[in-house]
Amino acid sequence: MANLEDSFLADLEDLSDNDNENLDEDSGDGEHMEEDVNGDLADIEALNYDDLDSVSKLQKTQRYTDIMKKVEDALETGSNMSNQGMVLEDDPEYQLIVDCNTLSVDIENEIVIIHNFIRDKYRLKFPELESLVHHPIDYARVVKKIGNEVDLTLVDLEGLLPSAVIMVVSVTASTTSGKPLPQDILQKTIEACDRALTLDESKKKVLDFVESRMGYIAPNLSAIVGSAVAAKLMGTAGGLTSLAKMPACNVQILGTKKKTLAGFSTATSQFRVGYIEQTEVFQTTPPALKMRACRLVAAKSTLAARVDSIRGDPSGKQGRAYREEIRKKIEKWQEPPPAKQPKPLPVPDSEPKKKRGGRRLRKMKERYAITDMRKLANRMQFGVPEESSLGDGLGEGYGMLGQAGNGKLRVSVGQSKLAAKVAKKFKGKQYSSGGATSGLTSSLAFTPVQGIDLIDPQADANRLGSGTQSTYFSETGTFSKIKRT
Amino acid sequence: MSYLLTTLTKKEDVDSIIRDTIDKLLVLRFGRSSDSVCLLLDDILSKSEQDVSKFASIALVDVDSEEIQVYVKYFDITLIPSTVFFFNAQHMKMDSGSADHTKWVGAFHRKQDFIDVVEEIFRGAMKGKLIVNCPLPPERIPKFQLLYKGV
Repeated sequence: MANLEDSFLADLEDLSDNDNENLDEDSGDGEHMEEDVNGDLADIEALNYDDLDSVSKLQKTQRYTDIMKKVEDALETGSNMSNQGMVLEDDPEYQLIVDCNTLSVDIENEIVIIHNFIRDKYRLKFPELESLVHHPIDYARVVKKIGNEVDLTLVDLEGLLPSAVIMVVSVTASTTSGKPLPQDILQKTIEACDRALTLDESKKKVLDFVESRMGYIAPNLSAIVGSAVAAKLMGTAGGLTSLAKMPACNVQILGTKKKTLAGFSTATSQFRVGYIEQTEVFQTTPPALKMRACRLVAAKSTLAARVDSIRGDPSGKQGRAYREEIRKKIEKWQEPPPAKQPKPLPVPDSEPKKKRGGRRLRKMKERYAITDMRKLANRMQFGVPEESSLGDGLGEGYGMLGQAGNGKLRVSVGQSKLAAKVAKKFKGKQYSSGGATSGLTSSLAFTPVQGIDLIDPQADANRLGSGTQSTYFSETGTFSKIKRT
Repeated sequence: MSYLLTTLTKKEDVDSIIRDTIDKLLVLRFGRSSDSVCLLLDDILSKSEQDVSKFASIALVDVDSEEIQVYVKYFDITLIPSTVFFFNAQHMKMDSGSADHTKWVGAFHRKQDFIDVVEEIFRGAMKGKLIVNCPLPPERIPKFQLLYKGV
């Protein structure tokens, strides 16, 4: 890892000439993200840093200035498409674009670091501002505008923030617990804001450049989503290959704005839509189909990005095919459903009736079931003439009712099957202490003081002389006292 | 309205349609297209033809044609319109509380009435009955008086 060693060495050099930096520091082109990581670590380690430059180094690097110069030149000269024949990797423009992508990501990180710096400094003055204004660039602008001002009515925040947010900020400022900053800290904060804003500017330039070259870099992707959105996606993902490696669900989310302040309605906010929202396809779909369209576009654009990352189709034909597919699918979704044909009636009794079952039906059927009495009356014993109501074989026969063997003329109302089941269940549930339950013990006992008092049946078996139960007739009780008389 | 339903004028046509309608109820309306009651009935028949198409087929027989007079005599058709029902070449009768069970005389009050009658006859036919009871309440059954010859 020669790069790592080099960068460490370079950083050591940096630390020694920290205060005497000027724009022409040569720290080599090999520095990458490690630089920012080191900056970050330094940030965390040296919590009471005062110098902005120890935190944000990007703007001073050679790499940064080189790329910015090239970008500006390229933007001025316009696009030159004379490089069809060349293999992509050798093309200097492509290399520049790849560098631009990495640079834009670096700038992003740098902006975050600077934002932290500004926030920490400004906390003394206006701590609530960081939770009201999330976006780092907006925060920097607002801080620059407010400066050291105590009374926010003198500060005009129009155009920097939406008016609702301005209102909230003004209100919070009037009740803030912060105190005005000392002059040197204020100076440093303003410097940091400027730095952040210039970085933002350069990022915009870089992205514009990438966008103008997008048709050459990723023709398929730009055929689907348009070059502006393609540039943004590539920029956020950190390069075409990283974009290609992402799953489609992540591509959908790229560029989502963080949710707005609590208290504002979230009914109108769209969930999980990022840069895809700005594509022409998305804007022209009806609102009901927007989510489906978003997913579709994200999926196809991921495929196109993958094609582009290996330069599988330099002409962009595949991208156009995908675009057409997307358009067709969205149109199909919007088709009205087929008209309802009047159906002829079904043949009567061709569909068997659905028989229902269940407890309710069984109970209802029980009312008409044959009783035991009737069953007995229906049967006859062999060789034994049955009795009949009018005697001598006239009238209704009694069958086995009242026969000698049974002796039952009156058959009691038998328990229905259901009732038997229920009784069995209930018996199991009843509290029973082992097997010897006398008829006088009960699990419910009433005391005049407490009302109903549920007693643990196990404890009952042990207690004999409890005030709530009579042990006189208890089966489990023993003799309490036997006196010799 | 009768242009929507098949109109039969020849005897062979009637024969063939009775023979060839298998496992479906055949509804033959005897009447003329100029009669107003007939037109009402025809209207209902044509509207419900598609609905009952799965278990019934409908045809109109022009009672003024000479070849059909045989059938007019056979079924004793005196009042116009009269509807006769067949199932698998079997003549189906229906007891609607009127004097004549062999045919339905007059129009129906509603389309649903006609469909109910057809369904009921079909069910009975599938079970093997030759005569079924009418499901309609008496208010909706057109009343008529049988004319006897010479009375």
